[in-house]
Amino acid sequence: MKKFAASVLALILVLALSACGLSKTSSGTETKKTIKVDTNAAYAPFEYMDKGQIIGFDVDVMNALAKESGYRVQLKNIGWDPLFVEVKNKSADMAISSITITKERAQTYDFSVPYFLSTNEILVPEKSDIKSAADLKGKTVAVQSGTTAQEVLEGLFGKNNKNIKKFKQNTTAIMDLVEGGSDAVVADNTVVEEYAKNNPDKKLKVIKDTKAFPAEYYGLMFPKGSKLKADFDKAINKIYDNGTYTKIYKKWFKTEPDIQKLKAQQK
Amino acid sequence: MDIRFDIIIEYLPYLLKGTLLTIGLSVAGILFGMLLGLLIGLGEMIRNKILALPFLCYVGFFRGTPLFVQILIVNFGAVPLFLGKTNGIVAGVIALSLNSAAYVAEILRGGVQSIEKGQMEAARSLGLSHVQAMRYVILPQAFKRMIPPLGNEFIVLIKDSSLVSVIAAPEIVYWAQAMETQYYRVWEPYLTAAFLYLVLTLSLSFLLRFIERRLATE
Repeated sequence: MKKFAASVLALILVLALSACGLSKTSSGTETKKTIKVDTNAAYAPFEYMDKGQIIGFDVDVMNALAKESGYRVQLKNIGWDPLFVEVKNKSADMAISSITITKERAQTYDFSVPYFLSTNEILVPEKSDIKSAADLKGKTVAVQSGTTAQEVLEGLFGKNNKNIKKFKQNTTAIMDLVEGGSDAVVADNTVVEEYAKNNPDKKLKVIKDTKAFPAEYYGLMFPKGSKLKADFDKAINKIYDNGTYTKIYKKWFKTEPDIQKLKAQQK
Repeated sequence: MDIRFDIIIEYLPYLLKGTLLTIGLSVAGILFGMLLGLLIGLGEMIRNKILALPFLCYVGFFRGTPLFVQILIVNFGAVPLFLGKTNGIVAGVIALSLNSAAYVAEILRGGVQSIEKGQMEAARSLGLSHVQAMRYVILPQAFKRMIPPLGNEFIVLIKDSSLVSVIAAPEIVYWAQAMETQYYRVWEPYLTAAFLYLVLTLSLSFLLRFIERRLATE
């Protein structure tokens, strides 16, 4: 028995050491550095799962940027809140996930220059009489926790207001609306418009309220002091100038992007 | 490592409200789970195997599938069917009760089957029917044996109630996650949440030990 245990232990040690040896040699022959990129793939059409693959506008942009800056991307699907934790403690090198650049977030993270312009909109049932953000007062609103939608609503109705139901994924928030548990969902315009369009049987409509919901700019998110920011800022401007961004934008949204407006945000 | 006590103080009122909901969900789950579990446990032990089958299937399903999945099915599927809309708290109580009942049923069965055959033989030879024997001789003895495993199930249920956070029921973990989201900090919210659960489970453990001692006749 003792001899058996000893030989099993020796076998495990040998395997462990050889695995260490393997990984060292493989990283030595790599020419491109691999960066770990987190995303919360539950936000169509920016990032979502399709038969086990992560696809979306953000994914195409990320791949284009990586090509321009000479990195290999290892994309990982993760929850929205865990994504912020991973970038903060550098378990991930960066994140691309429809993340709006805000002053509060910028205190803890570094952001690239903007790569997308968005605004929050309200998703409600067709026969709802909600016409603006002010009409949401007293109604149950479902949001994804930690998003700018939650931020704007809490600014209007108070922090941790019990009528604001926070869900871990935007998809669960929409499910709650469809099943009648909430009166409205607030999320990015592209996301709610896509959902309403692709699900006509759910009988939903989208309400815009540009007074309550300001324009927001998405950025790539890095840990504070990351050396990747400079590389990706350059890459973003490159794909603006060489037509790659326009191609990706037209592929997903069938319309021309306003690159001048995006570039104007780069102070 | 710096601990930000100020954010814990800021969220304390929400966490305490969440604790009340956790207690509420757990008590409701325990009560309904016990009532339902009693019926299902007795049903499992029906000597006619065909009549006993639905009860066995119930236990098989609710013990054999994750509580997390059960909560999602009840909240987004079952509750809207009956109420026309989702309700996180109602769905939470239903899912916890249904799940707990399956375990209580098995605990009942184990307790009853651990009573020596001699007791049933003696009761029957004294002229009691099977049902009378169960009611006056077997079950009272079985209950004392069931208290430790039942207590264990209740402690597990208090911890399982944390899963209801996924359907936005504002219990302890829901608010801990809100704290994490707002401040991007992990230790403060989750250690505080763990501490709150510990207070609940340890209190329950002491209570159960007290009950066991009081019921000990030897």
